[in-house]
Amino acid sequence: MASKFGLAGGIPERRVRPIWDAVDSRQFKNALKLSTALLSKYPSSPYALALKALILERMGKNEEALGVCLNAKEILCTNDSNVFVDDLTLSTLQIVFQRLDHLDMATSCYEHACTKCPNNLELMMGLFNCYVREYSFVKQQQIAIKMYKTAGEERFLLWAVCSILLQVCCGNGGEKLFQLAEGLLKKHIASHGLHEPEALSVYISLLEEQNKYNDALEILSGNLGSLMMIEVDKLRLKGRLLAREGDFAAAADVFQSVLELCPDDWECSLQYIGSLLEDDSISVKDNGPVHTTKSIECKNLHMPGEVFDSRMSRAVNFIQKLMEASSNSERGPYLALLEIERRKLLFQKGDADKLLQGLMQYFIRFGHLACFASDVEEFLHVLVSNKKSEFLRNLVKENEATTVVPAKALGQSITVFKVQNLIGNLISLPVDGNHKSFIYLTELENMAVQMTQMFYNNLPLSKDLDTQESMYGEELLPMACNILVQLYWRTRDLGYLVEAIMVLEFGLAIRRYVFQYKILLVHLYSYWNSLPLAYERYKSLDVKNILLETVSHHILPQMLASPLWPDLNILLSDYLRFMDDHFRESADLTFLAYRHRNYSKAIEFVQFKERLQRSSQYLMAKIELPILQIKQNSNNIDEEEVTVSTLESLGYGTHFIDLSNEIGSKLLTFNEDFNLRPWWTPTYDKNYLLGPFGGPSYCPRENMQNLIKQTELDAVKKIEKRSLLPRMIYLSIYSASASVKENIEANGSTVDPKLPLELKILLERYAKILEFPFREAVELVFGVSSGQKSLEVPSMDIIDWTNFVVFLNAWNLNSHEIGQGDSGRSTWKLANTFLRKYVEEMIKSAGPVVSSPGNDLSFLVQLVTEPLAWHALILQSCVRSLHPSAKKKKKGGSVEQSNSQLLNEIHISIQSLRDTIEVITKWLKDQLQKPHDGKFETMYSLVQRDDTCDGPGKVFKILRSPVSAMKDAEVGDRILEALHSWDPADVVRKIVAGQDGLLLELLKICESRIKSLQALRIQL
Amino acid sequence: MTTIRRFCCNDLLRFASVNLDHLTETFNMSFYMTYLARWPDYFHVADAPGNRVMGYIMGKVEGQGESWHGHVTAVTVDPEYRRQQLAKKLMNLLEDISDKIDKAYFVDLFVRASNTPAIKMYEKLDYVVYRRVLRYYSGEEDGLDMRKALSRDVEKKSIIPLKRPITPDELEYD
Repeated sequence: MASKFGLAGGIPERRVRPIWDAVDSRQFKNALKLSTALLSKYPSSPYALALKALILERMGKNEEALGVCLNAKEILCTNDSNVFVDDLTLSTLQIVFQRLDHLDMATSCYEHACTKCPNNLELMMGLFNCYVREYSFVKQQQIAIKMYKTAGEERFLLWAVCSILLQVCCGNGGEKLFQLAEGLLKKHIASHGLHEPEALSVYISLLEEQNKYNDALEILSGNLGSLMMIEVDKLRLKGRLLAREGDFAAAADVFQSVLELCPDDWECSLQYIGSLLEDDSISVKDNGPVHTTKSIECKNLHMPGEVFDSRMSRAVNFIQKLMEASSNSERGPYLALLEIERRKLLFQKGDADKLLQGLMQYFIRFGHLACFASDVEEFLHVLVSNKKSEFLRNLVKENEATTVVPAKALGQSITVFKVQNLIGNLISLPVDGNHKSFIYLTELENMAVQMTQMFYNNLPLSKDLDTQESMYGEELLPMACNILVQLYWRTRDLGYLVEAIMVLEFGLAIRRYVFQYKILLVHLYSYWNSLPLAYERYKSLDVKNILLETVSHHILPQMLASPLWPDLNILLSDYLRFMDDHFRESADLTFLAYRHRNYSKAIEFVQFKERLQRSSQYLMAKIELPILQIKQNSNNIDEEEVTVSTLESLGYGTHFIDLSNEIGSKLLTFNEDFNLRPWWTPTYDKNYLLGPFGGPSYCPRENMQNLIKQTELDAVKKIEKRSLLPRMIYLSIYSASASVKENIEANGSTVDPKLPLELKILLERYAKILEFPFREAVELVFGVSSGQKSLEVPSMDIIDWTNFVVFLNAWNLNSHEIGQGDSGRSTWKLANTFLRKYVEEMIKSAGPVVSSPGNDLSFLVQLVTEPLAWHALILQSCVRSLHPSAKKKKKGGSVEQSNSQLLNEIHISIQSLRDTIEVITKWLKDQLQKPHDGKFETMYSLVQRDDTCDGPGKVFKILRSPVSAMKDAEVGDRILEALHSWDPADVVRKIVAGQDGLLLELLKICESRIKSLQALRIQL
Repeated sequence: MTTIRRFCCNDLLRFASVNLDHLTETFNMSFYMTYLARWPDYFHVADAPGNRVMGYIMGKVEGQGESWHGHVTAVTVDPEYRRQQLAKKLMNLLEDISDKIDKAYFVDLFVRASNTPAIKMYEKLDYVVYRRVLRYYSGEEDGLDMRKALSRDVEKKSIIPLKRPITPDELEYD
């Protein structure tokens, strides 16, 4: 805390220092005592009050703190000239107001102070900071201009310029504002010049935004250009501006100079070649999603053939010179040559053989590097399939012919496997069960065997490596796993799945840090319903902070459909806390960037915060956490009351309706990094293993992009759908209770007519999201329940339809629109049948969990914890209203009659629901009662086959190789010890325990539900 | 094959495959953003084709007088891009900025005393152990303060090793 002339907030510093010390050492009680004493001496000192408020807030006494703050504010905002106003007082108050969520009050204190002391820069900076916190860009601009006028400093002008830019990119400001910003800068430069590199960078980007590339170039080449200290950065910028201006010839020259300085700069190589080909796409500003691949496809190239030839030969000559001059370790020039060949092919002037030659040369030089395959991926796409196969044959030949040091040889062999996978020939052979396909499967299996064996045999290479270091050949095990999963997909032989798990667990036993193994295991265990084990593996990844946004998708969707509620609660809460904390602190960091004159970062921070605020995962978590709370509460005995109070805290679900309404207008962001997902589940809503073998496991990039696009579209729909749930639950409970009251009180006076109408509107909306008009949806569900129609939708969509049915019944209790006068349709019966039907269908088709991986269990979990739970709430609401503790029961003949009818329906529905749940509990108990050893044997025996058998077991055999075969001198103590302690049986035991754990959690939920239904029946 | 450029916020959404490595710490947001807000020239990322992050370096410049120095807070490389001297390139960049733009006397960094592979790498890059900091890491493991002198430190005074180890509270900077 700063002070001037020994005064702090107008009080001698020696009097306040003990308070600061006490606060710093967290002795708040003592601090409060001292502060009270200080206040007795300075009762109307805003600073003394601010200090007291700060202490109270730290002690958790928020209301008292707010009261004291308001008192200080009142004193500050009087026109009494004796009141001491300074930044220390205001910033202390600001801290407390901010922590109490009253930013506006801090702002108004500063606003008043600035009026009172009009030319006080410190206070104006404080006010600017307040506006930064409020994201009030216009006000930021105004106060910054004022500061600029007062002090004439460049930085304040730049604060104003940034505030203007933010109005355009993050606010409602039109592009005309750019001119205003440019005018301000120009005027300043004319009189004072410009002194900060960041100011120049903002100026240039302002000109770029207005497509004034020439102006920007002029500035860059003038005096101001010297502000950019790093020459190569200046050249890069110059090249980009020239390309955007359309002066490709000059741009190519500039990029050439950059490459002379940085021959390995890949981006620049692309820009250089692009400029030579006059390709506009190279200079497009990149504002797209963060996880897509940038690929230049030579579209819209209108260039005469001979010009193309001469430009490309210029490029080749230049790159070859670069190669001669640069060190051998730089991949850039070699890849640039490949890029030139690729472009030629795209321009129909290429020679695939030349590209193949180039690729082979690249292999000879860099084939041992782990990044070889990803380096050449783009180039392989332009080759036709027989050329790809030729390339692969050449690679194999070259790999066999060369004798290099073992580590390099291993690297090259891994590369060959990777390329094999990349060009997709692992999957391209027929699968119709004929002889050819059998041979193919054997080949595939042999590859997995080779990879595993190669890893095992090369363990001695890693003998002297530190445990922290990546081992040689580490990538072989995930590759073997990928093949084994593919074999499982094609044959449905679970032995392959066990082997796929085993290779990874083996790898982790030797080195426990390999995150790639862990991620694959998370997905394999999830798929095999051993979710607790999957979660354990996920936790060992130590996903935290910003990784929560990009990596959570590996586990979150499975957990959302699971009964592991406490763990899910932690996942969602931690994630939301991280995001909300960032939103709270982001503005302060933005101000820090302003203060340190890193203006472009100030703008970037605001944009980044907006990006995270529009994150689809964030919105989803915001909706799913309260839904989880409702689920957890709905399983209590006093479920309905607790649920209503939970809903009350959520504004009876209306917040979420608002959110749902906004989704259409909001551009959601998708920040999940899907690159590390396994091939069989490339996005969180897609899992090839759930369907029959039907296509390539290898997803070319373009397919992947389409897949992601579809996932994003579906995610928006899903968020909208889920955000309707809390309100629909509330309205359904209300509707159920109102329908009884209506019956009891005969005149329906207590029913708010708007609410049933709202439920109908939401049902219509829900049906629309399910792609049906309301009436048709109603027809469909009745058709399905009577067996005349069937729902041709994925199993998870059945949950949505069952939700619809349950809410439809609740709505109809009041509206009676269905079943009036026609065929005697009953929505009660509809709900009972629907819930029962899908439970029975699932149980009938489900095999033992230990040998039936897949989605059935999570379907069952969702059915029990969502529609079934909502229906139970509706029943309970009816029963409570039928038997209120109040005495105001009025009875009339017709009321009694309709009540007894309702009573009867409720009775039947409770019984039906109980029966339905008992079907599930019986199935769960059957599963759980099977002896543990038996389950273990079932799974373990899948891979313990003798050599004469076809099918899985061969990879496992390598993993079970006797340790004695490996001399300790060869692998070193650490690896030898790991090999000794490796226990595959333990892996199987854990999988089974995980499956049982999941079943047990579901059983608990079901049993508690049965108990509450029993209690309900007794109340009737 | 490497484009090294200033790190920006969106890179935080792209570095998962680098940061999931157990030796790479994922700090809280205010940590990264403070570095970006204060020392953007000391925070660089290396990109590979296909929009992949190869690795990054973050650091700062601080100190007074002859202690004015560049500091490497973190340098990390994706396992797929290791063993091709990327860390060296990133370190050289930071050293260059400290030397030529900020005219610092030296660059320093802290490393776990047990992290032999990293220590060896820094030694190859001409860093020397200047001093040992006792129980620097979470009050348990010792840290080594390694330094490399820059051109302004003509007599290389900044890297003359201290004779005795120090405790964390004796450190001049956090």
